[in-house]
Amino acid sequence: MSGARIRRGIGRGGLSAALALGAVACATSPFQRAGNADDVAGVVARLHPSAASTASTASTASTASNRSLAFLALAGAAGARLCEYDLATSHLVWSQPTDVTTRVAVGASVIVHGSKGTTPNGQMVARELGTGALLWQRPFPSSEHLYGYALDGDALFVVTREATKPQKPTGQLAAYDARTGLLRWQVTLPSARVAAPAAGGGIVAVPLESQYVLIYDGTTGMALAQVLSTEEAATFVRALPEGLFYGSRGVFLLGRDTARGSRHAPGYLAAQLPAFVRPTYDYDHYRPEQAEYSALDRNRVLWRVTVDGGKPQFRDGLVFVHDYRFFFAFDATSAALRWAYASPDDAVASTDTGRAILFVTAGGELGALDPLTGARTWRAELPGEVVRGATFDAEGFAPPAGPGASAPPDLLSALTAIIADPDQRFPAMKLFAIEELGRQPGREVTAKLIEILQSDRTAPLAVQKAGEMLVARRDAGAIDLLTAALRAHADYTEKRPAPPVEVLARAVGALGPLARSVAPDLEVHLRLPETSPAAAAEIARALVQIGASESVGALRDFLTMYRADTVYDRDPTALVAAAEALLKLGGTSDRELLLFVSEEPHTAAGLRAHLGRALGETATAAK
Amino acid sequence: MVAGGAAWATVSHAQETAAPAPAASSKQDKKAKAAKAAKAAKAAKGAPGAPAPAASLPADKLEGLRLALVGADDAAAIEAAGTLGASGSTAAAEPLVEILADGATAARLQAALDALAKLGEAHALRADQTTIDALTLYAGHRAPDVRRRALKVLGTINDPRVIPALSDRLGDAASDVRAAAAASLAERHEAKAAPRMFALLARGDAGVAAPLALLATPDMIPRVAELTGTIDDGIVADALGEYVKRADVPDKLRIDVLRTIGRLSGAVATTALVEYVASIPAKEDRPSKKEAQKLIDARGASE
Repeated sequence: MSGARIRRGIGRGGLSAALALGAVACATSPFQRAGNADDVAGVVARLHPSAASTASTASTASTASNRSLAFLALAGAAGARLCEYDLATSHLVWSQPTDVTTRVAVGASVIVHGSKGTTPNGQMVARELGTGALLWQRPFPSSEHLYGYALDGDALFVVTREATKPQKPTGQLAAYDARTGLLRWQVTLPSARVAAPAAGGGIVAVPLESQYVLIYDGTTGMALAQVLSTEEAATFVRALPEGLFYGSRGVFLLGRDTARGSRHAPGYLAAQLPAFVRPTYDYDHYRPEQAEYSALDRNRVLWRVTVDGGKPQFRDGLVFVHDYRFFFAFDATSAALRWAYASPDDAVASTDTGRAILFVTAGGELGALDPLTGARTWRAELPGEVVRGATFDAEGFAPPAGPGASAPPDLLSALTAIIADPDQRFPAMKLFAIEELGRQPGREVTAKLIEILQSDRTAPLAVQKAGEMLVARRDAGAIDLLTAALRAHADYTEKRPAPPVEVLARAVGALGPLARSVAPDLEVHLRLPETSPAAAAEIARALVQIGASESVGALRDFLTMYRADTVYDRDPTALVAAAEALLKLGGTSDRELLLFVSEEPHTAAGLRAHLGRALGETATAAK
Repeated sequence: MVAGGAAWATVSHAQETAAPAPAASSKQDKKAKAAKAAKAAKAAKGAPGAPAPAASLPADKLEGLRLALVGADDAAAIEAAGTLGASGSTAAAEPLVEILADGATAARLQAALDALAKLGEAHALRADQTTIDALTLYAGHRAPDVRRRALKVLGTINDPRVIPALSDRLGDAASDVRAAAAASLAERHEAKAAPRMFALLARGDAGVAAPLALLATPDMIPRVAELTGTIDDGIVADALGEYVKRADVPDKLRIDVLRTIGRLSGAVATTALVEYVASIPAKEDRPSKKEAQKLIDARGASE
């Protein structure tokens, strides 16, 4: 069915909407009732009739479908196709040749998606859910821009912006019968700054002008309420069984307390997340291009909530981060990492069904993870396929343990795999993984950190982070590991690079006198050519920290050998550190040496100046 | 431990506590000392073109040179080091080693090391612990040039205590330092170093080719030949060319090795054959010489 057959025009709902929001108001501002808590409470009562004003767990805005479907946009040798895959039976239900642009939305018996079509702004396509057969398609002319659509049952809600000259652009919300494509009602929105809608439980919500969410009756188009987000842009709306949500950097559960969206409202949630995570709770509905399958589907936060007394909490206290090949579970309050899962291939789409994390990879692997443990509970494959994007319709679905099920991932192994991964796209994530690794207890972690430091494939920032973690953990049970690392001197013959002496010295120093046995292995690096001035400075400091008075000989040698070296003339830090160490660890003869060094005219000027002061300051004590 | 030379050891504790910063009078003293040192160095140098110095140095001359070495005048210090090195006197080493122990500018260090090398070559360098310690320390200096010079001196000391330092530097990052270490080890027939030298050769390290040839056992030669194609032919030719020159190699084996060289490409292989022929006295007629000449002729014909 073509777009021409769709009945157009403003329905009665639009008129009644204006009336409902007040005749006085419409003469001044269309947002006069924005933030009205009573209006919003009325909507919530419609969504949750049994629990409108009582404490309860989540009711539904759109009830569980009892389905276990994935709609996959495929590419590759067989051409562009859309297919339906049954996750419960692991089989392909149907496949239709088509190019999919905007994401698939799933209704009761219909799916809708975008495709390029032949018109400038593409077209919207409806298909039979069970067969994929084309039901109708609606092209968009150059004057009409699709912002998004949502299905509630088989009611389709579409937001567009129309720009017919010479009129100003207008925002339109239209309701269609998704099976036939016939228009049920249409309202002109109060602004042309529109966003993609969400629908469920008989209502439809549309973000407007970044700070409003307008709520309409899905059946009649009657305006029911207006939310005013006062502290945070409302860039998305999302209908879940738990309720209707809006937000951007956080999540507001629609309710009386969030009618004027404030972060202080009980209905507001924002998870604590590590720095590497882009806290994207949904895509930006104001940007039509984000309605297409894209990298946004591969880098997002997966979240579900439970609601108690109108107050939402992240389910099980967890949020999940899908970052291309990796999935993480974080404690939403503390940002503590619970588990990490690494897929060999980029996951192009994922969803939290409430009982499982489902994903599909670009290479055609479908998988399910246990939200509590990260264990892979199920796996299936579409051999030879290239998956561009996917939409899941599997609310509440968790595949029974079956092929490909595996034990929960070992956190240490998962973090190690992330750190060692040659993929260069995730520097921030690798830093996070190193930090998390460093927080784990055990000698094997210390060994792993040393290994990271020694790898020539580790990025400089990652080396720095691994070093910080190694120093901070003060692992007295791993002194032998530090010793062994220090003993692995650089050797061209054996293709062995110099050990990370600077960091190792700091780690040894942080242990204090407990690490005194390491002194000989530390001091030997003062006499090696590859030891950098920075490393020499750390060695000198570490020798002081561990109280290695037996190492004064090495300090003397270092100081005399380089005191007149031009390199140290420019930056005498290492010489100063060695001199300080001699002052602290040495005796009278060492002070005499220092006095000679301070007076000898070829000594680096910075060192001479420092020694002049230091010897004076410590003269009394020396007496 | 090396540090602890005479220069600083004479500083008194009273001086230290009384003057945390160098006093004006102290500076004046140094200027006077430096002038005296420069004068002494000039006197010690003697006339240009003078015959090689005797193997002993008069005490006053030695003291003058010592003062010049530590004086403010860099040129005089370097000149003094040269004079000490050329003296051939066993007493000349001490002030030079003191320079190492006290530390100095790069130019003075290099001059001191070069002088010590000369003394070593003249067998005037004693294998005392202080000297070995100082040279071992400088074999680990950050500047490759200093390390290379220190190794050269160590190589002249006929004492097993220098071997660890030489062996360590076979793994040096600088090729000229590795080459110096390898040469020193080869000269003292340190056979234990051969496997590491072979590893270096396998990495294409040209500097170890000749030293390895001096240490290689017959069973190592086929392995050297097998490196053909994996490293530069010239390096293989260099190693094999040096090997065939050894007097202890059976002539039959020489022929095999020469034929291997003959199959290698490039001027280095031709040179190796030519040098081999040249290394044999004209009157001596051995099969390997004929074979080498034949291979040279064949290469000439094919070119």
